[in-house]
Amino acid sequence: MADKVIYAMYDDDDETKDAAQKMVDKGIHIADVFSPFPIHGIDPIIGIKETRLGIVSFMFAITGTMLAMITIRYMMFVDWNMNIGGKPNFAFLENMPSFIPIMFEFTVLCAAHGMAFTYFVRNGLFPGMPAHNPDPRTTDDRFVVEIRPEDNNQFSFEELSAFVKTTPIVEIEEKVIQ
Amino acid sequence: MEYQISDKAKKVTLGLAALGLVLMIIGFFSQKEYVFAERLDEHSVKVEYWGKADESQIDGLKAKLISEMENKGYALDFHEAHSHDEHAEGHGTHHESPTFLWNIHLSHLEGEGHGGHGADGAQAIVDLCESGTISFFDSHWRRFWSNLLINGFFFFGISLGALFYLALQYATESGWGVVLLRVYEAIAQAMPIGIIVLVLVFITGAFGLHSIYSWMDPANVEADHLIWKKSGYFNQGFFWLRVIVYFGTFLFFANWFRKMSRKEDNEGGTEIHFKMYRKAALFLVLFAVFSSTMSWDFIMSIDIHWYSTLFGWYTFSGIWLTGMIMVIMIVGYLKSQGYLELVNKSHIHDVAKWMFALSFLWSYLWFSQFMLIWYSNMGEETIYYWERIMEYKYLYFTMFGLNFALPLIFFIARDVKRSWSFIIVIGTITFIGHWFDVFMMVMPGTLHDEWSFGLLEIGMFVLFLGAFVYTVLKSLGKAPLMQENHPFFEESKHHHF
Repeated sequence: MADKVIYAMYDDDDETKDAAQKMVDKGIHIADVFSPFPIHGIDPIIGIKETRLGIVSFMFAITGTMLAMITIRYMMFVDWNMNIGGKPNFAFLENMPSFIPIMFEFTVLCAAHGMAFTYFVRNGLFPGMPAHNPDPRTTDDRFVVEIRPEDNNQFSFEELSAFVKTTPIVEIEEKVIQ
Repeated sequence: MEYQISDKAKKVTLGLAALGLVLMIIGFFSQKEYVFAERLDEHSVKVEYWGKADESQIDGLKAKLISEMENKGYALDFHEAHSHDEHAEGHGTHHESPTFLWNIHLSHLEGEGHGGHGADGAQAIVDLCESGTISFFDSHWRRFWSNLLINGFFFFGISLGALFYLALQYATESGWGVVLLRVYEAIAQAMPIGIIVLVLVFITGAFGLHSIYSWMDPANVEADHLIWKKSGYFNQGFFWLRVIVYFGTFLFFANWFRKMSRKEDNEGGTEIHFKMYRKAALFLVLFAVFSSTMSWDFIMSIDIHWYSTLFGWYTFSGIWLTGMIMVIMIVGYLKSQGYLELVNKSHIHDVAKWMFALSFLWSYLWFSQFMLIWYSNMGEETIYYWERIMEYKYLYFTMFGLNFALPLIFFIARDVKRSWSFIIVIGTITFIGHWFDVFMMVMPGTLHDEWSFGLLEIGMFVLFLGAFVYTVLKSLGKAPLMQENHPFFEESKHHHF
């Protein structure tokens, strides 16, 4: 049997949040919420795991700092000794203050780009990829809550859709997915 | 929602102030005037002293040194050198002679037998002098005035930071922080403490009781071309005009915001809010100018030859940060007493985010100022850091390291910003750290290498802290804790993320 899925559509972020809270209180498991912008406070309600993007960001940042230090040291002290700021001591550590801005910028560069690309890869976002959201309007002004009956075996499909209809939805769509 | 300062809080804060006063007085009368000892070789030491002391005090000190060394098994032989010429060779820059200069020769006492195990008597004398065992007691006022300036400016800055943030909330029409605004107002109400103390320091400086501001002395202006060049800005008339304008503006706005929000409590409506919105924008413009020039006038002009264009921002970031720390501490205290039940974890998280961000702003500006001067390496600029690094090295870099690294390591995590225990511990350390930042702005310019940190410093800080918190809690009790007629009150109540 093909899986069925319920898409409940709302037109306000707070109503989406309240409806999600109501459903979760009833014991319904919500598969996902689609929204044009982040809804603050919805993650713990629908039980999304905490993102690990921060850890990735930290690793990219450390890589950036290291790369900057290695490159600066090679260019300024190994390959060609430079007299920096009138202090010809030719030692990386003693000239460190003058490289802090570069190291900082390179850290930020690596962290930001690494984080963005990790995000794209993890979510399968490449040019020409098909859209994953159920309705194009979720990129504009609509909020969609996705409920899969197979996650909620304790309820029948009719019960689920009847309960969803008690929340302030603007539209409901029941789809068969392959 | 009415808050009244509890008897316990009253006792604790006023008790702190009284304790601070006692410590300060003890510290004041036990100040040490150090003598300087230099080890020449194993058997001879040069001891000199440049301060004030009469003959009997000097003899007393000499007797004490002899008996101290007798216990260690040495006999001392004093050669007093009074010759001006001999001295001028050694100290080209000094034109006066020291109060005394002893060339001490050490010899072992008969039958003691200490020399056998490599004890260094010359080093022992140096240690005695450096530890302050051999020193004069001198209740001189310089340290007192410097401390008064440090604490006056630090606590004035806390109030000013809170007032600035209050105006920022109105000018940006922020909704989330409305439930906290009364705390900002109350902290801004404690501004007169700092102002009175600062004015006291300025007046005594103007009458020549201390020389913190060397440009106030006409003789220095005559003698010093660089000061003379700056006398168009740094002269007493213009300075006092500026002081009156700064303090007048700040006090006016602190009281005006208070008055208007009280009026809003009674009348409601949005008219008062828009009035405050416009006035807050005006205040921010004035503050932008005054906070910079104020830091030049009060702090940067101590080192009158030195200047840094970043200084105003650097001082301002410290002021703002300490203001935020004070706010979160007062909020934490009130919540622990069962008040401010509308303040939830999200509000606390937001204020803690400010503590995190402002620590970075401060570290960024501190380092930028340091790096630019270090890099360009010009004598008239590096003198500022030379003094700090030569005489205050560990304190200076520990202060910077803690104020930078602690918020960086801990406050980066979301849960830490929501945990009171972390906020209180790190907040307290950075609060004290920023007191040391102000200490480091003032002391190297006033006491140079003759600084010390003792009961006088601790006592005066505790005195000010007690009095300041008492004033804040007292003025919190004069108005309801919630601005229920604020247009964004409802939004703030539901602040959640």
